Amino acid sequence: MRWLAGRVGQAIVTAALAVVLAFFLMRAAPGDPLSRLGDEHPLTPQQVQVLRARYGLDQPLTAQFRAFVAGALHGDFGTSIQYGRPVTDLVLQRLPASLLLGTTVLLITFVLGSWLGAAQALRAGSATEQTVGALSLAAYATPSFWLGLVLAWLVGIEWRLLPAAGMHDPLLAMDAPWATRALDIARHLILPALTLAAVNIGATMRHERSAMLQALREPFVQSARARGLAERRIRWHHAFRNALFPVVTLFGLWLPLVVAGSVFVEKVFAWPGLGALAADAVSARDYPLLMGVTVLVSLMVVGGALVADAAYALLDPRVRRA
Amino acid sequence: MRRLISILAAILLLPICARLDAQAPGGTIVIVTGEQATVPVPTLIEGAAGTRANQELADQLFLRLAVRKPGRATSDEKGYEPQLARSWSRRDSLTLVFGLDPRARWHDGKPVTARDVVFTFGRARDPQIAPSLAAQLQHVRDVRAEGEYRVVISFDEVYGEQFFDATYYVQPIPAHLLASLPADNISRSDFVRAPVGDGPYRFVRSVPGESVELAAEPGFFLGKPGLARVIFRTATDPAARMNLLLSGEADAMASVVPPMSNRTRLERTGDFRLITTPSDLLGYLLFNYRNPADTSRPHPILADARVRQAMTLALDRHAMALSQFGPYSVVPFGPVSQMLWLGNVSPKAPRQNVARARALLREAGWNDSDGDGTLDRGGEPLSLSLIVPSSSIMRRDIGVMAQEQLRQVGVRLEVIVLERPVWQERFVSGRFDVAFGALRQVPSPSSLIDSWTCRGANNVSHYCDPAVDSLLSTAIVTQGNAAPMFVDALSRIEQDAPATFLYAPLEVIAVHKRYAEVELRDGSPWLMLWHWHVRRGQDLPRDRVVIH
Repeated sequence: MRWLAGRVGQAIVTAALAVVLAFFLMRAAPGDPLSRLGDEHPLTPQQVQVLRARYGLDQPLTAQFRAFVAGALHGDFGTSIQYGRPVTDLVLQRLPASLLLGTTVLLITFVLGSWLGAAQALRAGSATEQTVGALSLAAYATPSFWLGLVLAWLVGIEWRLLPAAGMHDPLLAMDAPWATRALDIARHLILPALTLAAVNIGATMRHERSAMLQALREPFVQSARARGLAERRIRWHHAFRNALFPVVTLFGLWLPLVVAGSVFVEKVFAWPGLGALAADAVSARDYPLLMGVTVLVSLMVVGGALVADAAYALLDPRVRRA
Repeated sequence: MRRLISILAAILLLPICARLDAQAPGGTIVIVTGEQATVPVPTLIEGAAGTRANQELADQLFLRLAVRKPGRATSDEKGYEPQLARSWSRRDSLTLVFGLDPRARWHDGKPVTARDVVFTFGRARDPQIAPSLAAQLQHVRDVRAEGEYRVVISFDEVYGEQFFDATYYVQPIPAHLLASLPADNISRSDFVRAPVGDGPYRFVRSVPGESVELAAEPGFFLGKPGLARVIFRTATDPAARMNLLLSGEADAMASVVPPMSNRTRLERTGDFRLITTPSDLLGYLLFNYRNPADTSRPHPILADARVRQAMTLALDRHAMALSQFGPYSVVPFGPVSQMLWLGNVSPKAPRQNVARARALLREAGWNDSDGDGTLDRGGEPLSLSLIVPSSSIMRRDIGVMAQEQLRQVGVRLEVIVLERPVWQERFVSGRFDVAFGALRQVPSPSSLIDSWTCRGANNVSHYCDPAVDSLLSTAIVTQGNAAPMFVDALSRIEQDAPATFLYAPLEVIAVHKRYAEVELRDGSPWLMLWHWHVRRGQDLPRDRVVIH
């Protein structure tokens, strides 16, 4: 219990540091969220000044930070400069799409990737293993935006098997049965999830394969065999469980994907997630929106790392004692 | 005799019957846009929220008092057609009186009254609420109601575009729903999430980051809309937008070109036609008159008009525009986009003249004394930098073309690609030699004041010609034919070359072939969407929708 409390304390400090850093670094970066209005939609300096006051950008940096913290503690991150809407609304509206895509990709990547990696290890040296290995490596080396474009063109345009973009069919009636709506979302999800999973699964497979090969050579496996345990039980209950450690580490590292998604894939498939929203906020220097996304992503990432630590401890009691 | 009457009646009724026959019931249009409307409420479409998406959606939900007919000058009061206002008249040279159509209704059933118009002008003219709109309406002195359906707008000076100012910038919003809300709280209100307008379409739902759905207002007082449902679908990536069109999931899209390959891809499907309207876009290379390191001093190279003129003449602007827009662009004469009616009365822009460019540079004292291919004067090379925003691939490409063409005459141009906010900051603060600007103009020539007069608020390059100031300010207040004065001002600007005006494109819009009565308006292509309908027999399953 003390171990867990310590980890939670560390997580809170880490998240707070990340948010403070993001706040000051973003403002230190060149570019101004309001000077962008001087190009295609010209505003006079006086008009810009009014807007600057509206968003509190005319205040000293410390006063801006105090206002940000005071608002954030109440869940109010202000109004987006770019969209003119409350940041909390914008972020919460996009969160479900990101969670759905990210969770699906992580599930495919880790469940399928771990299984395929372990299976590769068990068939080490066979033609199947080499073919699967080469394919996973090729997928790993493929840029996600390119794969996304190709899939959208081939499956969405040429074959018209799946929607080329979006998360919902806008033509679907609002009162459509939930099963129809779920099927509609699932059809839209396939291509972006496949694109991201195809690119990421290779890494999981390779880590799992080498960990499994290592585990199969460990003395406890030989001991289990000597005790006459069934080979299937030895492989999947003893060796596979031990071979999961590197994958759990990867899981922790890839957790941001759940929230932030992939900017390129979200853009190519017009997926209404947080990744594209955050990227637009950076390029527009939309400070309030960027801070809203940063807080959420920091909390999710730090929380995810905490979950990964807990999983480690669950799998290996030595971690708790360390 | 009876037979003759029957034949005559048949002849007279035939076109009406044919038209009724041609229209399929229902009808849907899915329009792909690059951004989603988040605050489609007039008076809030300001600053960064002043996006095309917000304005295009607001144009379906909210009416103006009157709209300009295509191709008519903004100062031509006879060139407008009624919307909310059924009639208008002049009380004197400073006062306009609008009679509202008593049939107009908000989508909640309440009548649109003069109180709504006065309320909206009040919000629009408040610089704390709508700084940009307030500046556009600076000459409006007073707006008041006379009875329930008459609005009187008075101005502080006589000028040609009073009617334009009174009708273009303001779309009335419902006072009975918004007057009780503090102005700074509207963006957080339910009204923004589900606006109540008075236009041909009413708001149905918004799916964040994806789409906004509108439904025809059956009792719309100007006539029943021809399409039952309008969906604005968002895809921020240009490739994703094209994919939605090509996969048959969308029916229309603006800004198809550039790239030109989009035209070929759409033509191959056979489902779309490409329609052009004048665009408000203007691309130009802006020369800084001041030293970027110390703006109190003149620019060491570009303060000399001969260098600016030479750079303009050295560029093959027609080839540049052709490379990006194909046939859908012209090289403008002065800072005039195709949406400004001035383009119709201006002369053609001069073509590339490398020999004259070289002569001008020689005249200005620039020679290649060391034979390195770059001109120099007093030991200093003729070397400049061009800042280009990274967000625009097109501007980057044209920048590289300009670099190569200027190299031919001995000018070294370094193309610096900057992240957009950084580019903007440097542009606005005047920290550049040459900047690749792209401006979206309002349809009024009075917008020239902002960037091309000595005290223009957006005159970041410090260009100043008092004669141009005088011509423009006189032309703007002239109530008769002001075109010659505007053209004189443009000629002086061209002569002084504060910028090289590169392209003024057309807006290329793809529309599915099943729609009839397609009418596109410059500046807001979907404004007359309610006139469109689907041809009978060509309807798709998504058209068979009945909205109650």
